[in-house]
Order: sequence, then structure tokens, then C-alpha cells
Amino acid sequence: MSSEIILQLENLAISYKTRKNIINAVRDVSFSIKRGENLGLVGESGCGKSTVAYSIVNFLGPNGFVQHGNITFKGQPLQNKPEKELRQIRGADISMVYQEPMSALNPSMRIQDQMAESLITHRGMGKKEAYSEVLQALKQVYMPDAEGTMTRYPHQLSGGQQQRVLIATALLNNPSLLIMDEPTTALDVTVEAAVLDLIAELQDRYQTATLYISHNMGVVARVSHKVAVMYAGEIVELADASTIFHKPLHPYTMGLMRCLPDVDSPKGTRQLHPITGRVPSPDQLPVGCIFSPRCEFAQAVCLEGHPLLEQITQDHQIRCFRATEWQNQKPTFSEEKLAEPCHSNKIEPTQPLLGLNDVKVYYPVPFKTVRGFLGLEKRQYVHAVDGINFQVNKGRTLGIVGESGCGKSSIARAIVGLESIFGGKMEFVGLDISKPISKRSIATIQQMQMVFQDPNSVLNPSYCVGDQIAFTLRRFRSVPKNQIQSEVERLLLAVKLDESYYYRMPRQLSGGEKQRIGIARAIASNPGLLICDEPVSALDVSVQAAVLNLLLEIQTKQDTTMILISHDLSSVRFFSEDVAVMYLGKIVEIGDCEAIYKPPYHPYTAALLAAVPRPNPDLPASHVRLHGRVPSAVNPPSGCRFHTRCPFKIGDICEAEEPLLRHLSENHSIACHLTGDQLCQITI
Amino acid sequence: MNSQSIINQSKSPLAWSDLLFRINQTWKKIRGFFELLWASPTAMIGLAMVLIWVFLAIFAPALTRYSPLEQDYKNINKSPSAEHILGTDHLGRDVYSRLLFGARTILLLGPLSVVVALIIGIALGLPAGYYTGWLDEVIMRILDTFMAFPAILLYMIIISALGPSSMNVVIAIAIGGIPGIARLVRALTMDIRTREYVKAAKLRGDSDFTIMVREILPNCRGPLIVDFLMRIGYAAFYIGTLGFLGLGLPPPTPDWGGMVQEGHTHMMANIWPVLSATLAIVSLVVGLNLFADGLREESMRYQ
Amino acid sequence: MARYIIRRLLTMLLTMFLVSILVFAIVEIAPGNVARNILGAYATPEQEKSMQNQLGLDRSPVIRYLSWLLGSDWQASRLVGYPLKVITISEGVVAKYQQWWAVDENGALVQWEIQDGRLYKLIRQSDGKTKAVEDEQAWKVNEEGRKYFWGINNANQAALWMQGEGGVEYRLEYSGWIASTGSPVDYIPLSKGLIRGDMGISLRYKRPVSEIIARRFTNSLILASIAILVSIPLAILLGLLAGLNEGKPLDRIISIGGLVTTASPDFATGIILIMIFALGLKILPGATVFMENNSVLKDPRLLVLPVLTAGLVEIGYVVRMTRASVVEVMNSPYVRTAILKGLSSRQIIFKHVLPNAMMAPITVIMLHVNWFIGGLVVVESVFGYPGLGNLILNAALYKDVYTIEASSMVLILLAVGTQLFADLIYALINPRIRYS
Repeated sequence: MSSEIILQLENLAISYKTRKNIINAVRDVSFSIKRGENLGLVGESGCGKSTVAYSIVNFLGPNGFVQHGNITFKGQPLQNKPEKELRQIRGADISMVYQEPMSALNPSMRIQDQMAESLITHRGMGKKEAYSEVLQALKQVYMPDAEGTMTRYPHQLSGGQQQRVLIATALLNNPSLLIMDEPTTALDVTVEAAVLDLIAELQDRYQTATLYISHNMGVVARVSHKVAVMYAGEIVELADASTIFHKPLHPYTMGLMRCLPDVDSPKGTRQLHPITGRVPSPDQLPVGCIFSPRCEFAQAVCLEGHPLLEQITQDHQIRCFRATEWQNQKPTFSEEKLAEPCHSNKIEPTQPLLGLNDVKVYYPVPFKTVRGFLGLEKRQYVHAVDGINFQVNKGRTLGIVGESGCGKSSIARAIVGLESIFGGKMEFVGLDISKPISKRSIATIQQMQMVFQDPNSVLNPSYCVGDQIAFTLRRFRSVPKNQIQSEVERLLLAVKLDESYYYRMPRQLSGGEKQRIGIARAIASNPGLLICDEPVSALDVSVQAAVLNLLLEIQTKQDTTMILISHDLSSVRFFSEDVAVMYLGKIVEIGDCEAIYKPPYHPYTAALLAAVPRPNPDLPASHVRLHGRVPSAVNPPSGCRFHTRCPFKIGDICEAEEPLLRHLSENHSIACHLTGDQLCQITI
Repeated sequence: MNSQSIINQSKSPLAWSDLLFRINQTWKKIRGFFELLWASPTAMIGLAMVLIWVFLAIFAPALTRYSPLEQDYKNINKSPSAEHILGTDHLGRDVYSRLLFGARTILLLGPLSVVVALIIGIALGLPAGYYTGWLDEVIMRILDTFMAFPAILLYMIIISALGPSSMNVVIAIAIGGIPGIARLVRALTMDIRTREYVKAAKLRGDSDFTIMVREILPNCRGPLIVDFLMRIGYAAFYIGTLGFLGLGLPPPTPDWGGMVQEGHTHMMANIWPVLSATLAIVSLVVGLNLFADGLREESMRYQ
Repeated sequence: MARYIIRRLLTMLLTMFLVSILVFAIVEIAPGNVARNILGAYATPEQEKSMQNQLGLDRSPVIRYLSWLLGSDWQASRLVGYPLKVITISEGVVAKYQQWWAVDENGALVQWEIQDGRLYKLIRQSDGKTKAVEDEQAWKVNEEGRKYFWGINNANQAALWMQGEGGVEYRLEYSGWIASTGSPVDYIPLSKGLIRGDMGISLRYKRPVSEIIARRFTNSLILASIAILVSIPLAILLGLLAGLNEGKPLDRIISIGGLVTTASPDFATGIILIMIFALGLKILPGATVFMENNSVLKDPRLLVLPVLTAGLVEIGYVVRMTRASVVEVMNSPYVRTAILKGLSSRQIIFKHVLPNAMMAPITVIMLHVNWFIGGLVVVESVFGYPGLGNLILNAALYKDVYTIEASSMVLILLAVGTQLFADLIYALINPRIRYS
């Protein structure tokens, strides 16, 4: 029974009609999923993962169609099924979970009605019976306050709860096949970890065949038994999870592993190896092997012929002409030698460059009542940053980590002056910078620049790249007027682009290129402090590595002091000497990078580290998980702000008294009521 | 800014390539606009309808032998003939000629009033959206007050107070258009000001004015162009309506709305003046709307 | 939710307050002399000045605005020293007018007048006639030692008499100019103010504006509600059909048809309909002929074309809004969820598409009420329909300022009120607002 094949795709090819031509988005995709098996489909954005998923339920939109190939579900062909039969399968035998839980739920229907629909339609249940079934389902996904949730509307739930609702809905009719399309991508890392635990548990319990789509290797490693790596519309490697992660053979798979920063390796011990180039768009596919233009090991044969997906061992398929070679001897990648990080000389203390003393950033809550509007009520504030102290020494990098809403971006904006501070003091090389940017001198402004998060809004779409960098040069008069153009070109080279980019418009650039231009613009003023606010989180993994490497190079070569704001603990470890962990506007742990990533941990740091999805399927699931949702920053919890979610809460003291940052060693402080010894016992 | 950068580099050999690039860039924008236009049959039909009227208006003196004002008491309420293509009205004026010259009035006053509204609307909406807070609150309250008026009512009391004249029609319609444009600009500004390139401009210490004009305004372009075209349609709509209500241009200026009003009372005797003026205004306004709407849909499709 | 309503109500009050300032400013302070407008081009400067004085137009704009909005009786009452009272006199069935009186110590209604330089108190008797009693002791003395008296005259004004130095008062009666000497030197026209329901006397009809408006308003309301009842359901149905068939020929036809009917000016639509149905097919009357006091519902045939014209413009707009909303919802991820749940098209349309797709049009339709009201003004003028719009147009052409002001305020209140109503409905049907 356990070997029954639920879903089988054979040579599936899917195309889209556009105004100009037909785009072959997916080509020659074959795989099968057995009962109880979870197949992970990984790849970068735009490589056709979701297209495959939607083709299974025959929902490709008006322009998409299956060109050829077979989709067989439980021995029955799924294509060309009449609408009526499809309807009987959808939501009953095949169900789906989506990426954006908020928009996938009907905003004007109560949860119980949205869920019950599925039962009423497919099993002809009465309303009452359906509701009780729904309640059971909600309890199965550990929905807090399941009864109360029944009558709520989607907007009243948190992202993690919404995703639980969708998962529960998908499982209502006990489907044979479950398709999950990036179900945790929109969630915070600790919530993601909890949802992944749930998925793994349900997997074991119901033995549902699952197709799990993700761009994140770590996530797939956590839940999948088999992994298919997709690239530009084709599967390039398919094997069981441990093979893919420990003995990958396709250069692309290997590249994906090599470009990931590793949360378990300290700074300087490991380099990132980006895959050069970018994913080709489906209407401009290269001749020959589709990966050949980006492949270090491409030979003449790779540029001419198109390799097939071949079985090399029983559980391992690979699409590469040189696969048998790699089986005998792993390929050796050429090492891109980065400038040696001057890690060693940074151990001796340097001058403090930036100092924050009890800095507060509050945002006024808009008045909701008439009384408030008339000034009769006490103004309420979002305590985004609530009394923060730290120092950044010259030439060092401070990483600030935390989940969304912890105040890390507010800190960044306050330092550069985009946000006025509510209280406290900030100093930059002895100068008081506690005022917003409009009141700062041009010399101070020049000293602090920022690298932004969203590549799509980092450049002004109305001006060409060169002009935008030139604006900065003119403003600060960094170079004489007649040298502006050559200086822009120098900067373009410094971010590994060439002069021809001067006249490119932003819409002609890829995300990674835009981010590089943003960096060029930031370093054009030759700043003493560069603040990077989630510089790579919106980029594809293969591009992330290149941008991180670039920033590291600038840091090393120019000895620029940096602050890296990130939710990703791996890139922070790769990048920083010092780390501050933030929760709800407070620093809970701060210190030397290596001290942070080793015990003793603050309970929150431990939970964050435990939640990081690691690309290693053999690691056991952690027991440090957070529950509940982040409390509102308008009325933060009393005492220790983390006490409402802390798995190691000791008692009333946590609620009554706010723990202060306490030195555990010379370069390491933790704000927790637990003793040093107790903290040392927390393991992830 | 662009011209300045050319001057700056006039000594360097790159100046020419720079200039070429900018010309090319402008050309690409124009070409992009026409590509958009070609892709939408609706917009093309609309444009054709409008262009016919523009052509007739420009060459009006060459296209008719009669003055639009010349009265001929011997030929009153005549049906179309070789002499008078569309016949004559109750004062013996040539309807065809009045139609052509009436097109001049509406095609001149319509865009003019929208341009006036656009300038003031941008001047109000940009700072409101950029600064928010009390400035925004004050500007929006005032604009809301204007928006509370049914447009026709506002025009009626303004013209009633100022007296009917082409200048006052432009003023009235401009006042009516300002709140809508200011609101649009404000909404766009509020969105664009959160973009990271605006933060980058702040981080190089650019003044608020520079940021509004250089970073924000150019990116409002697309929606503003579509809105501008829509509003020319509305303006023509209202100029016609005011004329019909007797609050437009004072007679005997050729004015389509006025022609309908006058012809309307003599409809039993001669249907041609009222019929031709009605169809003229409908074709122009529908053409403008088709054009704007087609462009809007097509540009949305690209996003 | 209650807070939301209160906040919206307050905003609406503020808007109406600003609207009243704006209406007053445009109508009365704009260039163009109200007195000259009433008197005609041939009045002498003295006549014009006297008229200005009698109408209170020589006072400061702020005072005039306050009198118009809040009334002038409280101010006049202070000057006169007695409480004031207004009574309504009916003569026959139609003619009704109001008289202002002061209430003296004895509770009697009194006015004053000057005869041969002497001040008389006119005491109203129960039969409506007045009894004149000399009242010379009522003169007061100002700082300059001159005798003056503030009283109420028989023209609904508070008047200031100076002993022995009366000005010349010109009055335009039906028979022509009447000049009387020894008359007051200053006037305050008495009114209870717009807020208290006194809209003034129409300069054109010489009747209380509120009375004229009431009937016209009913007529407009009848026309508007029939037009809306006919057009909205039809429009929503068509919009739904178009939206569900996005991109197909049916959608194309409905969309373009909608665009043409909304884009065409209302008067043009009206004229075309008249040509077709009245001149061409001769099945309907082309103009509305109503007797002043007959109900507009007496001959329903007269209503058909006005309703059709007003409705057509509205249909086009609502069709387009509904279609856009349906298309957006059809492409939303939650409808995708519903489809992939295996629901039938009927379930998807009625449970998932409609409730969400109807939210946007409900507000948009209500917000469009300004446009609709504007259209109504035009439609009424095309067909000569005796509604509020026609009244305003004629007032605007005649410069009947009080009528313009009052009926504008009524129309705007209606528009703003509808929008408020729309907001509340939206808040009620949208759980995102209801539960926050």
C-alpha cells in the first residue's frame, strides 16, 4: 500500500500564450509521488515550480495550456477531464495550500463557513455536522482558541494562524494529494518553524502524498523525502533528500549549496560562491544545456546538445552530460579569492564611531476616538524602539537581527536621520546626531549612507543609472564637475558592473543589478558608516551571495564601518563581528558574533537559531519553539517583554521586573532573569 | 537637470554620446506611447474621432464659405442643401460653419481649463501628500468642500456670480477639476514617498522641493496623463452642458451647447441644428473617453 | 463602530460648515451687485444705496454670513430690547407670508412706525388689524445727545429711526418706485437663519424659499428615485454579466455601451431620446408640462423620458464600476482558492464573488451621487420638469441669491448625506471595518 503511486507526471510541457509568441515555461518534467511521500520542488523564482503545481489541478489561467505529456493521478489521466469531474477531485482528493494566506482566504466570510463549504460540497454534510468537523480539524492543526476562531474573519487572525486554517481546510476531506506552494515564505522565521513542525507531523499522521514547493533549500530539507531541483523550466536533478543535500551531482545544485551562508560557520571561515549570471527568461533559453552559460564546467558538448534527465542510480536522476564524471570525482570549483578579511587586526579595540544611548523611537498611534482627536485622551505610541544602547567601533560590523516588527529598521532610519528619535542620544565621532536629517550638516549626512531592501524601489524609474549616482556626486561635490562621469564609471566597476550600465534604465536591470547600483550610489559619497537594511532578503539565493560578497569586499577594502539589519541569522553570522538581537524594541542579547551563536543563549536567540531551516535533512527537529503572537508594541508586556512567549519563563519575576543587560563575558551581555548557568543549559 | 548635465560635460568627448542618449530616451518614451496606442483598438478609434474634430477646427476658415455669425433673414430654418450643407438655424446662420467654429471653442477651452486645474492641483497635492500632517488636513478639508458640490451646481453658481464668458467658463471648470487632480497627486505622492529612492535622496540631503519635483513628480506621470485625457473629456462635457443651460459663452459665439439650446426650441421647425450639434458633442466626448479609457486599460495590462 | 459613525458625522458637519461659507462667498461676495441686479440697470445711485441698506447688504460679510446662517433676530432683539416673534399669516389657500413682531411687556405683538416725525407703536389686535399708539417716550439718547430708536417696522426689518432726521426710503412695489421720507437710517432684515429653517424670501417669486423648495424637492426626489430604482438593478446585472465574461464579445458590447452612455452629456442624451420617441415615433411627449400644484405623478407618460435620460447616464457608470470590481474579485487568490476547493460556478459566484464584488460599487455608486444630482439638474431643464434642479438653474439665471443659496445647501446636504450613508453601509457589510 505504501508504494502506491499517487501522482505521476510524464514529460510534461506547459506553455503560455502571450501577445507576441508562445512561451514554453515548463519542459520535460517527470516525477512521481507515492503515498506518504513528500516531494520537494525547489528552484529560484521564475523557474516554473508553481506552473507545475497549477497544471496538476488544471488551473493555468486563460493563456496557459499543457503542450504535451501526461499527468496521471491514481492511475487516471487528469488532462482533458471534463469540468464536472475535475470539480469532484479539486478540494476533495487533491487540495492546495498557498503562499499568501491572507489573500487566499475570502475576507468577507467567517472561517467556519469557508471551511465547511468544502465538506458540504464534497461530502454532502449538513451545516451542523460540518461545523463540528471543522472544529476538529482546527484542533488538529493546534489552532489556539479553535472555538473562537470558527466565527472570526480572516483579517482577525495572524499570518501563522491563517496558514493553519488553510492547512486544516486542505486536509478536511483527507486528500490523496496535497500541493503546498511556498506555504511558509510569507511568515516570520519562528512562525515558519512552527508551521513546518506541523506539516511534518501531519505528514506522518495522514500519510498524504505531498508536493512541496519552495525556493528555500533549508525548508525542503526539513519536510521532504525526495527533492527535485528545477532550473529554468526543467528538472535538473531528482533524488532522495539526503543524496541531494550530501552528494549533489548537478553543478547547479552544488552551486545552490555553495552560495548559502551557513548559520553554523563563523565569519571568515567560509566563503560564499555565487553562481554567475542570471536565470534565463523562458523566451530566451540558451541552446544546449540550459545551465551551460552559468556553468563553470561547461564543455563544447554542453553548448550544443540538450542533456536528458537520466537515471544514474536507483534513486538519483540528473540532467548533465558530465554526470558520470562527477559520480567518480566531485568537480572542483575554482575559488574566487576575496580580499583577505582583516579579521585579525580588528580584535584590538578601535575608536568608537557611533554611540547610541537610551535611544527611543515612538510612533504616535492615530486617534481612533473623537475625544482623542480633541486632545482629551493621552496620546498612545507604538514603542518601536524602546531604549537602546550600543556602540559601533570604527572598521567593525554590527549585525542587528530580529523578526519583523522588532524595531530593527526603525533603528536604522533613526541613525541616518530619516526618523526623529523620541528620546535618548546618538553620537557620531563625538558629534551629537540626535536630530533628524533636515537639521544635520551636509558633512554629517555624507558620512552616513544606507543600502535598502527592495530592489524594485531602490532606483528612481525615471532616470538612468548613471544620473542617479551622479546626483549624489554633485550634491556632495565629491569630485570636480568634469570628472563626474568618470567617477560614476569607477563606482560601477567597483560594484562589478561595467561602464555600459551608465545609460541603462532601472527597468532593464535584474534585481541583483539594481541592488548593486544602490550600493554604488551609497558608497559614492564615501561614507564612514554604511547601514544595510535587509540588503539581500528580496533577492534570489544565487544572487544574494554575490551581493553579500560585494558588501564584504567594500567593507574589507575600504575599511567601512557597517551595520547590517537582517532577519536572516546566517547572513549576519557570515558578515558581522558584533551582533545585537532585538525583540519588541529592546536588545535582548548583544556581543561578539561568536559569543552570540554559542551557548549561553538568550531564550529568544535560542528560538531564532532553532528556527533557522538548515539544508541538512538529518538534523532532528528542535524542541525550542515559540507559540502565540508577538504582542502589540503599543502596550508592550510588563517586565521582560519576551515573557508572554518564553519557553523558559521562571515565574512572576519575569512579569514584574525588566531584566537588564548583564555581562556574561567581556564581549557578551544578555537581558534575562535566568542565571548564567541556567542559560548555558539551553540548547537548540 | 538633464540639460545642466550636458553643459557640465560639454568639454568632454562624452557630451555627444550623452546628448544622443537623451534624445534616444525621449524617442523611446514617445515610441512606447504609440506602441501602447496601437495595441488598443478602443484608444485608436477614440483618437481618430478626436483628430477629425481637431482637423475641422484648425482648418475651419478654409472649410466653409460662411461666417458663423452672419445672419441671413431670408434663409431661416432651411434644411440641408448644396448651399448650406447642414442647413441654417433660426437666425439664418450656416449650421455647418457654426459647428466648425464651435469645435474651436470647445477644443481650446477644454484643454486650457484642464491645464490650469493640473498646475494648481499638482501644487496642492504634491505638498499635501509629501508632508501629510496638518498641512494635508487643511488642504484636504478645503478640497473636500469643493468635492461636496455636484460639479454642475458649482459651475452654475460660479458662472452666475461671475457672469457668462469664456474666461469664466475656464475658471469654473478649472476650479471643478482641481480637487480631483490634487487628490490623485496626493495619493500617488503618498505612495511614492515611501519608495527607497526617495529615502536615498533624503540621505544625500536633497531639499524637500527637489525631492518632490525631481524624484516624485516624474513618477506620477503615467496616471496623470491618463487622468488629464479623461478630464479633457469631462471638460468638453461640461462646456457643452453649461452652454446648453445658458451659462456658457454669451451668444452669438458659436458654442455647441448653446446651439443645442437654441435649436431645441425650434426642433419642430428644423431638426438639423440641434441634431448636428448634439451628435458633434457626443462624438467628441465619447472619442475623448474612448481614447483615455483605452490607454488606461492598455497601460494597466502592462503592469 | 459607534465611534466611527460619530467621527464621520462630525466630519460631515465640518464639511457642511465649510460648504456654507463657500456657497455664501461665491454667491454674495463675488463681484456683481445684488441690489442692482434686483433693481435693474436704470436705478439711481440713491435708490441703489437705499436698497442695499434695506437688504442689509451694506453690513460686513461676516455679519451677513452669520445672519444668513444663524439668523439676525437675536441681534435685532438685543437692539430693540424686546423678544421677537414671527407669525405666519394665510390669505386664501396659496399665499402665506410671515410677519415679525416684537413682544412687549404686556405680551402684545407690536411694531413701530413714524408718522409726521412722531413715533407710533402699532399693537396687533386679535382680528389681525393694528392699533396705533403714540410712543414718543420710547426715544433713547446716544452719546452725541441725539434721539434714536430701534424698533420693528412692517417690512420684517429691525429699523433704526433718528428723531427728526429720517432718510429717504425707496421701495420697489408692483406699481413702481415709492419714496418715503422720515424713514429709518439703518435696517437689519429679520430672519431666523438657514440652520433654523428660514431660507429667506425669494427675490423672484417673493415667497419664502423653503416653501418653494419643499415642493420642488419632492418632485426631484420622485424623478430621482424612479430613475435609480430602474437603472441600478439593471446596471448591476449587466456589470456582473460583463465582468464574468471578461474579454468576450458580450463584455465588449456592454463595456463600450456603458462608456458611451456615461460619456454623453445628459442634455445630448435627452435631446436624442426626444428626437427618437417624441419627434420620430411620436409615442411620448417631448416636454413635461406640469401645472404648479398638480402632482408630477398625474400623467406617468410625462415621466418616461426624464427617467430614461437620468437613468441611462447612471446605468453606464454603474455597469463599468461593477464590471471592474467583478473582474478584480474573479482574479483574486481567494476565488482561486474557492475554485480549487471544487465548488460549483454557482456557489463561487454567489458566495465568493458577489459579496466581495458588490462592496466597491455600493460606495462608488453612492459617491457618484454628486454626478447624478448634477445630471438631474440638466435633465430637469431639458424637459422643463419642475424640480429643484430647474429651480436652481432659473435662480442662477435670475440671480435669485436666497434661492440659489438655500437650494444649493439642500442639494449638497443630500449629496454629503448620501455619501455618509454609503460609508456606513460599507462599514456594515465589510467585516474588516466592522470588527476594528
